[in-house]
Amino acid sequence: MTNGLTSTSIRRATGQASAAIALLILLAFTSHPTDVRAAPAPSYSLDASAAAPRKVEETTAASVERDYLHGWQSLVSALQTNDAELLNENFTGTAREHFQQAIDSQRQSGLSRRIIDHGHAMHVVFYSLDGSSLQAIDTADLEIEYRDGGKVLSSEHVQVRYLVLLTPAENSWKIRILEELPSS
Amino acid sequence: MNSLQRGFIIAALCAASATCSAQLTVAGPVQAGSGATLQATGSGNGTLYLFGPGGASKRDVQRGAIAITGDELKVAGRYTAILDGSSTSFFVTAAPLDKISFIARPSRVPAAASGAVLGSAFLFDRYQNLVLAPTPVHFRLAVESADGEERQAISKDGVSWVQLNSGRRSGPAQFVASSETVSVRRIVQQVAADPCSIRMKASRAPDGNILVETNPIHDCSGNAVPDGTIVTFASMDASGRSTVDARIKRGFARAELPASPAATLSVAAGVVMGNEIHWGGGQ
Repeated sequence: MTNGLTSTSIRRATGQASAAIALLILLAFTSHPTDVRAAPAPSYSLDASAAAPRKVEETTAASVERDYLHGWQSLVSALQTNDAELLNENFTGTAREHFQQAIDSQRQSGLSRRIIDHGHAMHVVFYSLDGSSLQAIDTADLEIEYRDGGKVLSSEHVQVRYLVLLTPAENSWKIRILEELPSS
Repeated sequence: MNSLQRGFIIAALCAASATCSAQLTVAGPVQAGSGATLQATGSGNGTLYLFGPGGASKRDVQRGAIAITGDELKVAGRYTAILDGSSTSFFVTAAPLDKISFIARPSRVPAAASGAVLGSAFLFDRYQNLVLAPTPVHFRLAVESADGEERQAISKDGVSWVQLNSGRRSGPAQFVASSETVSVRRIVQQVAADPCSIRMKASRAPDGNILVETNPIHDCSGNAVPDGTIVTFASMDASGRSTVDARIKRGFARAELPASPAATLSVAAGVVMGNEIHWGGGQ
């Protein structure tokens, strides 16, 4: 009798555990696409062959690549969490001011933007002779979700061209201008 | 309920409540700081969201012609408007040129140096957007009342740059970048280049030493080499070599070398050698 009850309890418990696991698996596969999901690392290429009037040295190109990508990671986080402090490390000047305004107004209205960054193809078009500024055109592959609180208002997958101006700081390149261009 | 029935019900609800998706359009190119009109089909109220590169907003609107103010469109770039699930994107371009950010390097340059002066001009509108339309920029580098060097360059992606020779005359040169009615000036100090030639003379000092003194020292453009520039005098005789460094003062350099019955005297400044004097050998 006891064994029978125990066996039933075990069967019931096993059934509940299975249901819970099934529910968890179901939730994992059907959770809203805007929840945390692992985005693949963005691809990146930098073509400095058309840089003028000065050639871009290999080490400079590597630094620009590292700092620009890091800048995008900061921007994506800042626009999603509405934390402008995240821009401090990689942004300066006009770009810093404009994104600060965007984040402030998002926070005031309870809005946010979630960007999934799929990659950048960057072409350097200007590198000043004294090395004080580098300008590039970046074609970015982005998925953007516009949100009001937790609600997704709209989403789009776009190829966007940016005009980028970077200037060297003490030990890194900072994004001074990040201006979206009309599609050509 | 099949899909056809469902469609009819949605259409009926749309007609009754006017809460269905609106078609959104923004006419024509929009310039930064000037307003725009968003056309939303249908009637009734809705919530308009506007996301741009420099802001985001949310407000209740009446469908139809919805005014977006210039204050909301100051930053150039792509804007996305969303109304009840429908969205549209439009571009805002920079306003007319208002400001030039001009970087001139170096601040101090030798006279008559080829390609030594660099200027980069970044063109901005009043809202700090880069003016991307090709725009002629005029550059001029000149010391006052002297012929200078001028160049015009068309901007590309908001940037125009030049590389100029420095002028032959020393002094503060004005380096001006101008376009339309906007003009920016920087000062580039043109200084004498290396001495062109150095001539010295020697005489016996009252204490028996050899007094050496140069003629006025100029660069090859005739500019006086600045005071403070080091000139090195040397004497080579049977006992060895003696050198004395002296600074140019009021255009000349002078020094005393140790007394010697017979010596070869020489003078130099940087890499420029002057004349030699054979002292005591009939000189």
